[in-house]
Amino acid sequence: MAVSWRSWTANEGAKHIVLWLSANTVLFWKTFTLYCYGPQYYYLYKMLGLGLCLSRASAAVLNLNCCLVLLPMCRAVLAILRGSQKVNPWGVRRRAPKCVGTFVKTIFLCVCIPVVHVSAHLANVYSFSLLYSEEFPSLNIARHKGEVSWCVCFAVPGVTGVLLVFILFLMFTASSHGIRVCSYEIFWYTHNLFVVFYMVLLVHVAGGALKYQTNVEDHPPGCLGSNWTGGSDNVCRAEPHFQAHFPQTWLWVSGPLCLYCAERLYRYVRSCGRVTVESVVKHPCGVVEVRMLKSGFTARPGQYIVLNCPSVSSFECHPFTLTTCPTGTEATFGIHMRVLGDWTERFVELLLSEDSAETETLPVVQRRTYPKFYVDGPFGSSSEDVFNYEVSLCVAGGIGVTPFAGVLRALMGDWQHYKLRRLYFVWVCRELGSFYWFADLLCGLHQKLWQENRPDYLNIQLYLSKTEALQVCVGRQYQALSARLQVGRPRWPELLDDIGKSNKDKRVGVFCCGPKGISKALHQLCNSGRSCGTTFEYNKESFG
Amino acid sequence: MGKIEWAMWANEQALASGLILLTGGIVGVAGQFAGWQFAAYGVAAGVFVCLLEYPRGRRAKGTSVERTGQYCLTVCVKAFGPITRNYYVRAFLHAALCVPGGFMLATVLGCVCLGIASLIYLLAAIRGEQWLPILPKTETREKPRESIKEPPQNPPPRPPADLRRKRLEDVEGAAYVNPIPVTGSED
Repeated sequence: MAVSWRSWTANEGAKHIVLWLSANTVLFWKTFTLYCYGPQYYYLYKMLGLGLCLSRASAAVLNLNCCLVLLPMCRAVLAILRGSQKVNPWGVRRRAPKCVGTFVKTIFLCVCIPVVHVSAHLANVYSFSLLYSEEFPSLNIARHKGEVSWCVCFAVPGVTGVLLVFILFLMFTASSHGIRVCSYEIFWYTHNLFVVFYMVLLVHVAGGALKYQTNVEDHPPGCLGSNWTGGSDNVCRAEPHFQAHFPQTWLWVSGPLCLYCAERLYRYVRSCGRVTVESVVKHPCGVVEVRMLKSGFTARPGQYIVLNCPSVSSFECHPFTLTTCPTGTEATFGIHMRVLGDWTERFVELLLSEDSAETETLPVVQRRTYPKFYVDGPFGSSSEDVFNYEVSLCVAGGIGVTPFAGVLRALMGDWQHYKLRRLYFVWVCRELGSFYWFADLLCGLHQKLWQENRPDYLNIQLYLSKTEALQVCVGRQYQALSARLQVGRPRWPELLDDIGKSNKDKRVGVFCCGPKGISKALHQLCNSGRSCGTTFEYNKESFG
Repeated sequence: MGKIEWAMWANEQALASGLILLTGGIVGVAGQFAGWQFAAYGVAAGVFVCLLEYPRGRRAKGTSVERTGQYCLTVCVKAFGPITRNYYVRAFLHAALCVPGGFMLATVLGCVCLGIASLIYLLAAIRGEQWLPILPKTETREKPRESIKEPPQNPPPRPPADLRRKRLEDVEGAAYVNPIPVTGSED
C-alpha cells in the first residue's frame, strides 16, 4: 500500500535512527581520514597501511556504540524523563523509551563493527611483524623483524581483545529469538557478562600499542627520506618522538557506565522495600490477579514493575504491567499475571498454596504465607502516552490488555482532567473467558460515562478470534459488552477508516500491545495515508 | 528453572563460529600471511560448518522457529541419518575441525569459538538430546461425513417466537416439545 509522507514522518521521520547512523558515519570517516592523512600518524601509516585506518575508525564507532548501548537500559532514568512534562523536543518522550528497539539497533553495530576491527588488527599484527621498523624502534610492538605473530599478539591489547570477542560471541549466540523463546535462562545469564565485557574493554584500550608522533613541528614527517620536498631550510631538527594515546574509550564509556551503575544501585535500594500481598484472585483462562502494598510506591497508569522471587529463582526478574495503580486514596497496586512458563507456574503455585494449619481456631481464619518477593519499578512504557492525545486507539491482544486496564481505571477515577477526549478500545481474545478479566471495569466505566453524558468517550469493540466450538454466552450484567462482541478477527483498514472519518484532521495515537502480526499490520496502516486528513501515530508497547 | 535445550545454543554458537572461521580464513588468504594454507582450510571448514549448522533442529517441547530457507539443507542433513542426528558425532567433528584453525592467528578465534560449541554439543549429547528435522506437516483432509453432503431439506423445528421467548415466571409452562425429534451431532 502507498505510504503517505505525512504519516511516515509522524511515525518514522526524524527518528533517532537517522541521527545515530549519521553520527556513526561521520565518526568513521573523520577517524579514517585522520589516520590516513594526519602528519602525526605518517610513520605508523607507512608501516601498517589501510589496516591502521580501518582499525582506528571502527574503534571510534565502537566507542560511540558501547557508550550509547547502556543508555536505553537506564530504565529508571527513562521513566523519569517520560514523566517529565517539560522534556519533549522532537517527540523525544514518545521515541526515547523504545528501550529494546534502540538497544538492538546499537548492538547490531557493536557486533558487526568488531568484525572489521578484528580483521584490520589481524592485518596490523602481521604488518608489525613483517615491516618491523629499524629506523624507529619505539614505534614497534614486535621485538624483531619476522617475530611470530602469536608472540606479537600476547601483548595486553591482544589477549584482552580475544577475550572481548569471546564474551561478545557468547552473548550474541545466546540472544537469538530461538534461544530466548526456548531457554530464557541461557540468554539472561550470558547477558550479565556485559559487566566483565566493560571491565576488559577498559583494560584493552590501555594497551598503548598504537603511537602517534608528538613533535611534528621539530621533525616534519618524512623529512629523513631522500624524496623530501619540503625545501632546503626545512631540516629535521630532532628525532621523531612517539607516544601512546590516552585511552579515549575511558572518556566515552565512563559517563554512561557511571549513570548505569548509579541507576542499578538506586533500583536495588528501591526494590529492597517490603511488599505485602493483600489478595490473590484467580481469573479464568489461567490468569491470576495479585494485589499488593509497598510503602512509598507510586506509579502512573501504563507503567510496569519487575518481580523477583528468590523462592522461585534467585536471579530471574519478570516484568508485569500494573493493572491497578496506587491512587491518593488507595495505596494498593495490582498486576494480572498469565501463567505461561515455569516461573509463573511456580510463583502462582506458591501464592495459592494453602497454609497447612494443624489446629483449627474459631472463627476459622485462613492464614496464608505468601512467598517473599521484591518489586522493582515502576518503569515507563509507551502506554502512558494514551492521555497525551485527544483521540487514542488502544488495541490489545489477550493478556496485552493489561497496560490499558491501568488506563481505564485511571479514567474511572477522573476522566475529565485528561487531554484525552475519545478512546477507542479494541480487544481481541481467543477465548470468551478472557473478557471476564476486566468485564466489570469495562462495564463500570461505560456506565459511568453514559451517566455523565459522554457516551462517545469510550468505544469498546471486543473480538473473539477463535471461531470453532463457539458458545457465546455472556452474563446479563455484561449486556454492554455482549452487544459489542464480534466473532472473528477485526478488519484493521476499515476500523482505521471509521476512526479517521469520525475524527477528521486530528492526531490519533495508536497503541498496540499484542501479537506481532497485529502490531505489524497496524504499523503499516498507520504509515499509509488514510483519508480525511487524520494522522495515526503508532506507539508500540514492548517490554524492555 | 525448567529443562534447558543446550543443543539450540550449541547450534547458534557453531553457526557463528563457522562464520568467524570463514571470515578469519578470508583475511588470512587475502593478506597472504604466513601459514595462509591454514587460512584456506579455515574458509573450507567455515563453509562446511555453516551449511551443517544452518538448519535448526526441532525443539523437544514447544514450537520450533526455523531459519529462512532452511528446508533444502534440512533435507540434505536429514539424509545422513544417525551421523547428523547424534550430537556426540557433531561434538567430535567440531572438535576435530577446529584444531587446524589454531595454527594461524587469523583463524584462532574461529577455532576457540568452534571448540566451545563442540563442548556444548557434548553436553547436549550427554543429556540425550538429538537433532530432529523441522519438516512441514502434511495436512490430512478429513472425508466429509455423510450428514453434510446434502443441504437440509426442512427448516429446523421451531414453535413461533412468542412461545420461544423465555418466561422466567413460568418455566414449566414455557417448555415445549419439538414436533420433529432433534438429534444432536454425535462427534
